[in-house]
Amino acid sequence: MPRKNNELQFSSLFRPSHVICQTEQTDRDTILMDLLRLLGYEHGIGNVEQAYRAVLERENDMPTVVGPGIAMPHARLEAIESIVVGVATSKKGVIYSRSCPDNPIKLIILTLVPKAAPGAYLQAISSLAKICQDPSTAEMVANLSTSGEVWSFFNKGRIILPDHLRASDIMEPVKVKLQEQDTLQRAIDLFVHYGLNELPVVDKDDELIGVVTTYELLRVCLPDYILWMEDLAPVLNFQPFAAILRKESKTWLAEIMTSEYATVQEDSPAVQVAKEITRQRADQAYVIRGRKLIGVVSLVTFLSKILRE
Amino acid sequence: MDTDFSQDPIGWVESLKRAIEANKAIIKTSARVLIMLGVSAVVGLLAHSFGLNRQQVTSCSVFIMIIMSTLLFWQHRLAIAFVGIGALMGTNVLTLPMFVRECKLDVILFLIGMMVTVGVLKELGLFTWIIQSVIAIRRITGPMFVVIIVFLGAFMACAVDEVTSIVFIATLIFQVCDTLKVRPVPFIIIAVLGTNIGSSGTMLGNPVGILIGQNASPPLSFIDFLTWSFPIMLVTLSVSLIILMWYFRVEIRLLSERLAARRELGLGLGPLVQVPYKRGLAILVGTISFIALHHRIEQYLGLAPNTILIVAPLVIAGLLMLWRHQRSRHYIEADVEWWTLLFFMMLFAVAGTLQETRVTEEIAGYFQQAFGDRLSVLTPVIIGISAVGSAFVDNIVFVAAFMPIVNKLQQTPLLWALLQGTCLGGNITMIGSTANIVALGMLEKRYRTHVHFAEWLKVGAIVGVASCLLAWAGIAALSPFMPTVVQRQRKIAAHQEVRLTVSPAHGDLTKITDPNNSR
Repeated sequence: MPRKNNELQFSSLFRPSHVICQTEQTDRDTILMDLLRLLGYEHGIGNVEQAYRAVLERENDMPTVVGPGIAMPHARLEAIESIVVGVATSKKGVIYSRSCPDNPIKLIILTLVPKAAPGAYLQAISSLAKICQDPSTAEMVANLSTSGEVWSFFNKGRIILPDHLRASDIMEPVKVKLQEQDTLQRAIDLFVHYGLNELPVVDKDDELIGVVTTYELLRVCLPDYILWMEDLAPVLNFQPFAAILRKESKTWLAEIMTSEYATVQEDSPAVQVAKEITRQRADQAYVIRGRKLIGVVSLVTFLSKILRE
Repeated sequence: MDTDFSQDPIGWVESLKRAIEANKAIIKTSARVLIMLGVSAVVGLLAHSFGLNRQQVTSCSVFIMIIMSTLLFWQHRLAIAFVGIGALMGTNVLTLPMFVRECKLDVILFLIGMMVTVGVLKELGLFTWIIQSVIAIRRITGPMFVVIIVFLGAFMACAVDEVTSIVFIATLIFQVCDTLKVRPVPFIIIAVLGTNIGSSGTMLGNPVGILIGQNASPPLSFIDFLTWSFPIMLVTLSVSLIILMWYFRVEIRLLSERLAARRELGLGLGPLVQVPYKRGLAILVGTISFIALHHRIEQYLGLAPNTILIVAPLVIAGLLMLWRHQRSRHYIEADVEWWTLLFFMMLFAVAGTLQETRVTEEIAGYFQQAFGDRLSVLTPVIIGISAVGSAFVDNIVFVAAFMPIVNKLQQTPLLWALLQGTCLGGNITMIGSTANIVALGMLEKRYRTHVHFAEWLKVGAIVGVASCLLAWAGIAALSPFMPTVVQRQRKIAAHQEVRLTVSPAHGDLTKITDPNNSR
């Protein structure tokens, strides 16, 4: 398949000299410091101590274990103008995080991105998605004995950085959803249990058919004609809520389901998520394949991934 | 970088296209301004060619400019009206005393009083109770719901005003359609058409009602409206209802099916709460009774015609504000539509210059030359002209301009023709009346959807033409029984202590307050 001229291979982001091969170190922080010093020497990344603190802060907050035996720590640095990558391998494996003691990390890909390059790290991680999903990748790379072989592994794999981030690159799995035959009772249960304000509703084929929000629920209980009254006495004891509660098991979701929500196709540019969220004044956008619901991007997730990761 | 367009004509066209695209909004606005000024100038030139003097030409041009502004710059109509008033004063066509006289403060005060009263009634839960009463009907069907929204909309328009009525009816429709997941547009159109027809029933129904009633020479009373306009309204409303039920039969059937399905599940159409409605109902009944009896009270107290009519809503509003003094500022600031009222004042003043400069007299002369004095010709002509005019221009603009002409024609049935034409003509297009615009605005805000011009026009034209024909027939049937202008003048004079004479020049009533100056 012919390659486009502007395609960027992942292997072009680093050189064999940026690889620490089969390190004997078993301490995560020491390996990260070694990698940063190497990159500082080979490429120039500004203040190494500062970069180290930035990487650790991110890793301590949420370890970036992206696949079996693979971690992708990263930081955003003001001192660099393009993506800088360093790789470390360990045959024994490193206990990377207390939360994952059974997943020793054998391949560490440290990615440093310019501060003003939103989404650059996610582009890098997106390009590695396929190899990260393969459970043998970490083991295979850790067994390579030279830096050149490690670099060649990434080079031969033709791992291409995408032109832009797609919605599917920043989406998260849908934790909880409602079926079209569910009742209001189940919706209220889920709102309360998960502390959510919005729930997607899908049909038997998992296709998104609507959204139920706490605001709509409130509006059903307190319609405009009740809100007109200045005197709250008739609703002081939540009488309209009681009426709804009495019939919650009989009330189909269709009654409070809204068809106004933000959706994006999985292949849409990630910026489309921001556009749809803004246009629909929503808190989240649903990522769909055709009409099938495959993920969700909340505004908070979008901001943290694009502006902070 | 300079481009040699003679060498590259396609590039020149492309550049032009790009420039047009980039400045589309500016070009659009400039084109509208040019159209507005152009039409205004053409009308001025036409007026000049008909032999009108400078002042008459100026008042015609400014009036047309304001009409055009309501069509082309709806959002900026008040600003343009302010500028128009300035232009008229700058050219000495309008003076400050004339402005104060012509801006029809009586009509404005009446509307303020009604707006405050309606605001209090809303807060007291009267309208909540009315909506809940409809929602609570157990065996409601699609056709029954349509009958209710048409008659309720019409009668509420008669009792309060068409805009207030449509706000409540639209809320009822949204509640039912949201619950049943039915498209609300057909029912909104049905309700608006019913409300507009209903607004011709009483003096309270529409600002044009109070404008016609108060500015008729001599003025019309609330009872006059109930006697001559209300029956016609009932007939046109009933026939329009049949047309609408046929036109939207598919949507009504769907509504019936959804209502039946919901009934089988034992579910209602919305939450119902105990509303203390009696105070609100008593205030509404009291207000309407007070207004309805204005003529008798005025006779009893020897007051000028319609004094009580104008003062009653103000007094009631004042009493309500005293009662709910902690909310009184809110009623004045939030419930009174100052934007609309200010526009009305400016418009009335500009239209007043047409009368002061005797433009309306000239037009009435041409009108009589063209159509003669026969009622059988003038009635359909006035209904037709005012209906078509009101379909595109705010009907209050039309009445403000047409009222002096109709007064000049000195035939009572023509007043009702003007009322019916302007109220019913508002149904033809989606921009024909304030109720249409308010309802469509609510629809757009809630569902982010809009009605296509053609979708409205199809049903609006059918109902508009049918109701205008019925109104014509109704006026023709009732006109032999209607009092003539002279009979109305005598009736009023008989109940007043002051003596009245008819000015030979204007046909206007002149009060002679000096009791010694008897004829």
